[in-house]
Amino acid sequence: MPAKRRQGMDHEHHEWSPISTRGKLNWPNNARVALCVIVTLEHAEWEPPEGSFSADQAGGLGLRPFPDYPRFSHREYGHRVGIFRVLDTLERLGIKATVAMDAQTAEGYPYLVKHCLDRGCEIIAHGVSGSQMISGDMSIEEEADFIRSSMDAMKKATGSAPRGWFGTDYGESERTPDLLRKAGIDYLCDWVNDEQPYPMADGLVALPTMLEMDDVFAMSNRRVEIERYAQSLKDCFDIMYQDGEDNGRLLAINLHPWLVGQPFRIGYLEEALAHIMGHDGVWSASGSEIIDWFNNNPPA
Amino acid sequence: MSLPPHRVDYSPIIERPPIKWPNGERVALWIAPNVEHYEYMPVKYGPRDPWPRTPYPDVQQYSYRDYGNRVGFWRMLEVLDQHKIRACVSLNLAVLEHFPEIRDAMVERDWDFMSHGIYNTRYLYAYTEEEEREFYRDNIDTLKRETGKQLKGMLGPAISGTVRTPDLMAEAGLIYHTDWMHDDQPVPINVESGKLVSVPYSIELNDSPLFRVNYEADYFAEICKRQFDQLYKEGAESGRVMCIALHPFLIGQPHRIKYLDEILSYIMSHDGVWQTTADDIAEYYIENYYDQAVDHAQQFKA
Repeated sequence: MPAKRRQGMDHEHHEWSPISTRGKLNWPNNARVALCVIVTLEHAEWEPPEGSFSADQAGGLGLRPFPDYPRFSHREYGHRVGIFRVLDTLERLGIKATVAMDAQTAEGYPYLVKHCLDRGCEIIAHGVSGSQMISGDMSIEEEADFIRSSMDAMKKATGSAPRGWFGTDYGESERTPDLLRKAGIDYLCDWVNDEQPYPMADGLVALPTMLEMDDVFAMSNRRVEIERYAQSLKDCFDIMYQDGEDNGRLLAINLHPWLVGQPFRIGYLEEALAHIMGHDGVWSASGSEIIDWFNNNPPA
Repeated sequence: MSLPPHRVDYSPIIERPPIKWPNGERVALWIAPNVEHYEYMPVKYGPRDPWPRTPYPDVQQYSYRDYGNRVGFWRMLEVLDQHKIRACVSLNLAVLEHFPEIRDAMVERDWDFMSHGIYNTRYLYAYTEEEEREFYRDNIDTLKRETGKQLKGMLGPAISGTVRTPDLMAEAGLIYHTDWMHDDQPVPINVESGKLVSVPYSIELNDSPLFRVNYEADYFAEICKRQFDQLYKEGAESGRVMCIALHPFLIGQPHRIKYLDEILSYIMSHDGVWQTTADDIAEYYIENYYDQAVDHAQQFKA
């Protein structure tokens, strides 16, 4: 369906709302910036099912024929090594982690589920595996099954239903926000179009992440060097902190332990996050805490 | 003989009669924010796929660009305002209909409006002659209706075109086309009727190709300053054009905006800069240099 030329968006998922026209979003204790660090744990499948779709751009050596040992194991590094380095770094700085976990990680790595829960992380749903994403080619039944299997696995592994959803590779069909809401999801991280949470249809809330601060987007897809990435993170925060004085900002960052958890990278991440946490007026919170605050204290 | 596609007569810049800008300025500087809308569910028409990453929709890429209209545009505007820049927007005209706050902000500032097509997901490549004629009618009517302004030029939608594009633009009354990256000065484009010129745009000083890969905004600032220094030097002899092309979803990102400020602070601190628009450059050039340039180029024909 091509766009209809009329006022507002060319879809029904949310309203048009330029930030310049909005009321003031007040964070707790008048914080200027809410910091939400999402740590994504996704399992790379040895053999993804036939007909599944992935937009993974791979990084490193690029996509290679089966069996692709380096790519598969590069991702697995995050589950074995990188995650602990990343969580330690966040903990040292007093940053709460929100872990986006896929069903295969939840089912296949009970140690990691318990570890994340013991450390007080919020766990949100992240599809089925890192090798399959939701796409517009799925039928409604396939997509509903996909979402249900992810939700069921998370509930079984963690003991409670996840409130947030972050699609693998930001994958959605036209129906996804609607199906997620029906499946009980409260907030959605796929839409990267804002620096504040905003309402979506039927009570769903968008928790927009900064795509440019996604480590995979920056360093694997765009090939920005880690030192420059860390500088961008600091520059990004500085402006949000400045703008956040007039109207609260959300800095949501999506990190992948297989990438940013590499030994040579982690120090740069720590330095950038320390810069952020060294400021008064930064509220480090989980996705649910941010969304609950937003819902209870709408911009006025 | 010009070389195919026979639109431009060869004319080496060192042999041309000098260009003098209105007040003897060395560099005509125009800032071109690309204010765009990409459709959530476009229809693929022709050879280019608007969202090649995934089946439609591509929520990541769609919302990344939508960020420009919700947030980035407004941050960019603050910096342009600080430097009193009168921009020449490269505009997907449907933005005027979808997002009236953006329309009003541009009209209030008396920007010039260059067409960048209707949507950035509707390319010209596969248009028939009649479809393309209708496209220009739509462009002209939409701009007039929404802003009261007369359309004078175009950067093709996502820089797309057909072999007929210059002829049909001129037939519709447009006077400049900015898809040509071939010169540091305006140049006549051969068309069947009327007069059409190219006004130098930039695919180099352009945040879109740069930030698609591993360049960052400190590098963008450095190359803009270098470009300016060189053109400023050469512009003492014969006026030059410098364009900086921006996209609010990229330059309006918090980690990039201070570098735009740095670029404009540097350039605008110089005397001899004509901060202008592509509309004004094209009109001035046609009025003062078009005929001379056509005559002058005759001697270089093979």
